[in-house]
Amino acid sequence: MNFHLYQILIIIISAYIIFQGVKNYVSGKSGQTIYKLVIRLIVWGGMAFVAIFPNAISLLAKTLGIIDNMNAVILTGFLLIFLMIFKLLSAIERLEQDISALTRKDSLKEIQKK
Amino acid sequence: MNSTKIFIVIPAYNEETVIQDVIGEVQKEGYENIIVVDDGSKDQTFQKVKEIKGITALKHKINRGKGAATKTGIEASKLLGADVIVTMDGDGQHDPKDIKNLIHPIINKDFDVVLGTRLKNPEGMPFYKRAHNWIANIITWYFFGLWVTDSQSGFRAYSRKAAKLINTKADRYDYDSEVIREIYLYKLKFEEIAIKVRYTEYSKSKLEKQNLANGFKTLYKMVWKLIH
Repeated sequence: MNFHLYQILIIIISAYIIFQGVKNYVSGKSGQTIYKLVIRLIVWGGMAFVAIFPNAISLLAKTLGIIDNMNAVILTGFLLIFLMIFKLLSAIERLEQDISALTRKDSLKEIQKK
Repeated sequence: MNSTKIFIVIPAYNEETVIQDVIGEVQKEGYENIIVVDDGSKDQTFQKVKEIKGITALKHKINRGKGAATKTGIEASKLLGADVIVTMDGDGQHDPKDIKNLIHPIINKDFDVVLGTRLKNPEGMPFYKRAHNWIANIITWYFFGLWVTDSQSGFRAYSRKAAKLINTKADRYDYDSEVIREIYLYKLKFEEIAIKVRYTEYSKSKLEKQNLANGFKTLYKMVWKLIH
């Protein structure tokens, strides 16, 4: 089975993100639920599956009429954009939570002094 | 159990015209431990609260949302040794007479959480609000696994145990649904109690701000938290 570079990249990225999700869930990291893990497995597992077995979606590709090398370009492009958005939203979410925590800490200062 | 320390938490954002009346009504019902969290209001809400003696007035320097303000109030209650914590809105739509019904199952029947529900007695509730609530209930059930009749109600009571266990991250209106998830996760014993909601012109004008766009925003936040 010959793998193209984009397939290897997708498999590595998916494996890393799934590994992080499982690690967070197993270590009981706050906010990590079984639902999050399952969704992560479906989304990233699905991507890895498609990367390993690209023929599995040949029917879809045929239907869309993009069954040539452009496939790989479009898929990689989408994957990169998806990754960037995912990381950006994660960062924003983390910052939002940090701001709330700081705001809360500040407002509770007087009570904590007592 | 007369020694039970009951704390009432009221998150407030731009409520200068009604906040003193809301606090006054709660005090009239005999509750002394009241915590008002001003969530970065642009008006005189905080000053109005400070004018009332015996109130714990907290202030978020910037607006962080109803969920964040409620959580701050709950944290403060825990620090002050609360046994039972009641959360209610600051716009006057909740009737403080219902507080005794909300805390009763916690004090006398060992429940962990009591959810006030508007949909058991939806008299006077605008149709769009009822529809909005049903959709929110279905989404909450689908994502968080627990069916409740009013997943968006802010009128709730928590035991100390529940307040310690529940750990929410949501800052905005998705907070109410996240509490439902926590109840499910920690298998907390909960009950739903019918509450009366007073839809005044003022509270209606506030509700209008929770428009469709905000509904989608809440949905997006819920989905995001699942995949993130």
